[in-house]
Amino acid sequence: MQISFGWVDLLVASPAIALFVGSLVPVLIKALSGNKEPNAFVPYGIAMVSCFSALALLFGNWGIQGEFFSKAIVFDSLSMIVSMLILLATLVGLTLLKENPSTQKLQFSEIVFLTLNAAIGMMVFAWSNDLIVTFIGIELMSLCLYVLIALSEEERLSKESAFKYFVLGSFASAVLLYGISFIFGAGGTTSLPELKQMAVNLASTNRLFLIGVILFMSGLLFKFSIFPFHSWTPDVYQGSPTPVTAFMASGVKVATVFFVLRWMSLDIFTAPRSFPFVDVLQWLAVITILVGNVGALRQKSIKRMLAYSGVGHSGYVLIGLIAAGIGGQNLVGATGVVYYLFAYTIMTLASFGVLSLLERNANQEIVLEDLKGLARSRPVLAASLSVVLLSLAGIPPTVGFFGKFLVLAAAIKQDLNWLALWGVLGSVISVYYYLRPIVAMYMEESVLEERTWIPKPVSQFAVTLLALMVVGFGISSESFFNQFFKSVLEIFS
Amino acid sequence: MFLSILVFSPLVLALIVGLVPKSWIRPTALILSILHFGFSLLLFQHFDPATANLQLVEQSPWIPTLGIQYFLGVDGISFWLVILSTFLVPFTILASWTSITERIRFFHINLFFLSTAMLGTFLAMDAILFYVFFEASLIPMYFMIGIWGGARKLYATLKFFIYTMFGSLLMLLAIIGLIFMAQEQLGNLSASVLDFYKLSVPFVAGQFLSTQTLMFFAFCLAFAIKVPMFPVHTWLPDAHVEAPTPGSVILAAVMLKMGTYGFLRFVLPIFPEAAQYYAWLFLLLAVVGIVYGALVAMVQTDVKKLVAYSSVSHMGYVMLGLFAFNIYGTTGGLYQMLNHGISTGALFILVGMIYERTHSREIKSYGGLAKVAPWYTIAFLIVTFSSIAVPLTNGFIGEFLILLGGFQAHKILGGVAVLGVVLGAAYMLWMVKRVFFGTEGALVAKYKDQGLDINFREVVILVPFILLIFWMGLFPNHFLSYSKASLDHFVNNMSNYELKVGP
Repeated sequence: MQISFGWVDLLVASPAIALFVGSLVPVLIKALSGNKEPNAFVPYGIAMVSCFSALALLFGNWGIQGEFFSKAIVFDSLSMIVSMLILLATLVGLTLLKENPSTQKLQFSEIVFLTLNAAIGMMVFAWSNDLIVTFIGIELMSLCLYVLIALSEEERLSKESAFKYFVLGSFASAVLLYGISFIFGAGGTTSLPELKQMAVNLASTNRLFLIGVILFMSGLLFKFSIFPFHSWTPDVYQGSPTPVTAFMASGVKVATVFFVLRWMSLDIFTAPRSFPFVDVLQWLAVITILVGNVGALRQKSIKRMLAYSGVGHSGYVLIGLIAAGIGGQNLVGATGVVYYLFAYTIMTLASFGVLSLLERNANQEIVLEDLKGLARSRPVLAASLSVVLLSLAGIPPTVGFFGKFLVLAAAIKQDLNWLALWGVLGSVISVYYYLRPIVAMYMEESVLEERTWIPKPVSQFAVTLLALMVVGFGISSESFFNQFFKSVLEIFS
Repeated sequence: MFLSILVFSPLVLALIVGLVPKSWIRPTALILSILHFGFSLLLFQHFDPATANLQLVEQSPWIPTLGIQYFLGVDGISFWLVILSTFLVPFTILASWTSITERIRFFHINLFFLSTAMLGTFLAMDAILFYVFFEASLIPMYFMIGIWGGARKLYATLKFFIYTMFGSLLMLLAIIGLIFMAQEQLGNLSASVLDFYKLSVPFVAGQFLSTQTLMFFAFCLAFAIKVPMFPVHTWLPDAHVEAPTPGSVILAAVMLKMGTYGFLRFVLPIFPEAAQYYAWLFLLLAVVGIVYGALVAMVQTDVKKLVAYSSVSHMGYVMLGLFAFNIYGTTGGLYQMLNHGISTGALFILVGMIYERTHSREIKSYGGLAKVAPWYTIAFLIVTFSSIAVPLTNGFIGEFLILLGGFQAHKILGGVAVLGVVLGAAYMLWMVKRVFFGTEGALVAKYKDQGLDINFREVVILVPFILLIFWMGLFPNHFLSYSKASLDHFVNNMSNYELKVGP
C-alpha cells in the first residue's frame, strides 16, 4: 500500500500539527535546560499560542469539505464544530491546570505535552473515516489521559483512578478492536464510506458483522459512560485533578459522540432482520438516565455528583442519538445531539472550573460543606456556579434547557414518547441535587473559619465567561441551531 | 415596544438597585417600583376594552428553526393580572421594610427579577416563551423562601421547586407535541399560542391514551400544581408558612394566578373537547378543594397556615368558575383571581405585621387584641369580610358569579360549593374571634405596652387594599368592562376559540 498525501491534506491536518509542535516545545526546553522545570508561564504561554494558532488554522479551513489522507479522515463542518469544542476544552483545561495546586508545580511541561496530545487524539478520533484511524485516535487520547491523571500531586485517589481508568479503558479498547476485526472480516474493509454502502445488507445477513458492531459499540459506549459501562466514571472523575476532569469529561465525550453520530449515519440500526439495536439502546438510555440521576442524589463530593450527573447527561445524548439513528427525513435528533454536546461542554468546563478555583491544596476535595456561605465570600463565583447548575438542571433560558428541549423534541418527533417521559422524570430527580449546592451557597452560613483564597485570576475570568455563555448562547441559540442543522445535513443526506 | 419595556424594565431596575449605596436600597427600590407601577397604568391609555383581540402585539422571530417567536400581547384576560402584578411590588417592598433585615440588596434584586418573570408569564403569547418565564419565576421565589424564610425553609423551598418543575416538564413535552402538530396541520413549526388555537387535536372520547387527553392532562397537571388544586396542593401550606411575608404575598397574589391563567389561556381553548369531557372531574376536584381547604383551615393553630389553606379553598372557587363553561362562571373566576390577590395578599401582610411584633402566629396565645390594637383590628376585619365574601366587598361579587355559574353547570356540586361559603365564614370568623376578642391572651398582655397597633407606614400599605376591596365590591363594572369583550368572546367560541391580532 502506497501512502501519499498532498498539500491540502496537510492544510486540513494543520490544527493538529500546530498542537503537536506546540506540545513538543516545552518538553524540549526542559530537556535542553538540564531537566529543570521552567517557569510555568513558559509552557503555558506556548500552549496558548499553539491552541490559538490551531483555532486560527481551523477557521482558515472553513468551507473545506471532503476526505483526506487516502480517505482516512473526513473533514466537514461537523469536524469543524467538534474541533472547536475540543480546543475550547483544551484552552480552559490548560488554564485551570496552570492555576490548580495539584498540577501546577513540578511537571507542568509534561502536563502541557500530554494535554495537547490528548486533544490531538480527540480530534483524530472525531475526524476519523476509517476504523483503524478511529482506534489510533482513541488510543492516543486515552494513553495521554491515563498519564495525565496519574501526574497529580494528590496522593490518595489519583494513582488509583489512573490505574482503574487504564485497566478498564484498555479492556474497552480491546473489545473495540476485536469488534473492528469482526467488521473487517465480514465486510473486507474498515473504511466508513465503503461500509456505508454495504452495512444495511451485511447487518441483515451476516451474524459475524453484527457481533462486530455490538462489540465496537460497546467500546464506544464505554467512552461516553452509558450503562452498563458507566461504573468507572465517578471514581475516575473524582480521582483526577479537577482541571483534568473538566478537560476529559467534555473532550472525550464530545469526540466520542461526534464519532458515534457519524457511525449512526450508516443506518445499521434500521436494517431489517438484524439485532434490535434501537430497543436495546432505548433501554440503555433510560437506565443510564436513572442510574446517573439517582446515583448523584447521594453524593457528598461535588465532583462525584457531577460525575454521576454526567452519566445522566450521556443518557440524554443517547436519546438524541437514537432519534438520529432511526433515520427518516428529520434531523432534529442529530441537531439536538450536536447542540447538547455544545451545551454540555460549556457547562462541564464551567462547573469543574469553579471546583478547581475553590481548591486550596492538592489533596482537597470540595464537598457540600465547603460551599456554605460562598454567596457572601465569593459572590461572582457563586452566581456563576448557580447559573451553570440551573443550566445543567435544564431551567430556561440557558443552553442546558435548549439542549434538553431539542433532544426531547427529537424523541417525540420519532414517536419515542415514553423515552421522552423517562427523560423528564430523570430531569425532575436531577433538580434535587443540582439545587443542593445552591442551597449551601445562598441559604446556609459558613461553618468554617475565615478562609484564605488563592488568587486564580485567569481561571476566574474563564469561568465567569463560560457562565455568561451559558445564558447568552441560550438566548441566542438560533444561530447555533442553524449552523448545527446545516452540518448534520451534510452527513445525513 | 410598550410591553417589552414593561416586562424587561425591572431587570434594569434590579441593576440600579444593585449599584446604589446600601442605605439607599429600600427607598430607591420603592420609588422605582412605584414608577414601574405608574408606567404599567399607561396600559389603560393604550388598551381598547371594546375588542376581544390581542393588543399591543410585539412579534419577532426568536428561534425560527423550531417555530419559536418572541411574541407578547395583552387582552382582557391578562390585562388585570398584569396590573395586579405591578401593583403589588411596591407594597411588598413597603411590607418588608422592617421585616427583612439581611441581604437587603439581594432581596430587592430578586423581587425585580420576579416581577419580570411574572409579567412575562402573563404577556407571553408563544408557548415556549411562556414556559421560559413560567420556569424562570421559580428561581427568585426559590431564593426568597430559602434565604429569608422560617425554620423549615430549605425543605419548603425545595418541595415548592420540585413540585412545580415536575408538572411543567410534562407540559413541555405536550408543547413540543403541539409544535410538531402545527407543522402537520398548518404547514410550519409554530409555538405561537394563536396557532395552537387553530389546531384540531385528535380526541377520542373515553380513551385515556389518546393524543388530546394526554396533552390535556399534561397541561392540567402543570397548572393544577401551580393553582394549587386538591390533591396536588401539599406544597402550598409549607411554602406559605416558611416564606417571609413579601414572599407569601407574591406567591398567593400572583404566582397562584399563573395556574388559573394557564387554564384560561391554554387548557380550555386548546383542548376544548377534553376539557368538556373531563369537566366533571375538575368540578369535583374544585369543590372537594373548597370544602377540604375550609375544613383543614378550621383546625389550624397557626394563623398563616390557616390563611394558606383558605387559599386552597378560594382557588377552588376559581377553578369551579372556569370549568362551569358559562359567562357567569368564567367572569366570576377571573374576578375571583383578582379578589384573592387583593384579599389574601392583604391577609398575609396583616399576619406579617403582627408576627413582626410578637414573633408568634399561634392563635392560642392571642386574644383580646381588639382593645390593644383597634386600627389593626378594623383593617383585619375588613379584609376578612372580603375574604369570606360579605356583600359590598369584592369577594361577594366574585363568589356570587361563580356560584351562579356553578349551579348552571352542576346542581349538586354547586350546592356543595355554597356549603363551602358557610364553612369559609366559619373558620375565618372563629379565628377572628379567638385572636381579637375574648380574654386577653398571654402574648397580648406581654407586648401591649410596646404598642401593637399599626404605624403610619403600615396604614399606607393597608389603605389602598381596603379602598380596592370596596371599590371592586361596589363598582365591579369599572374593572370587568376591560375584560368583558374577551370573556364574551371566550365563552361564545369555547369549542373553536380563536384570537386575532389587532388594535
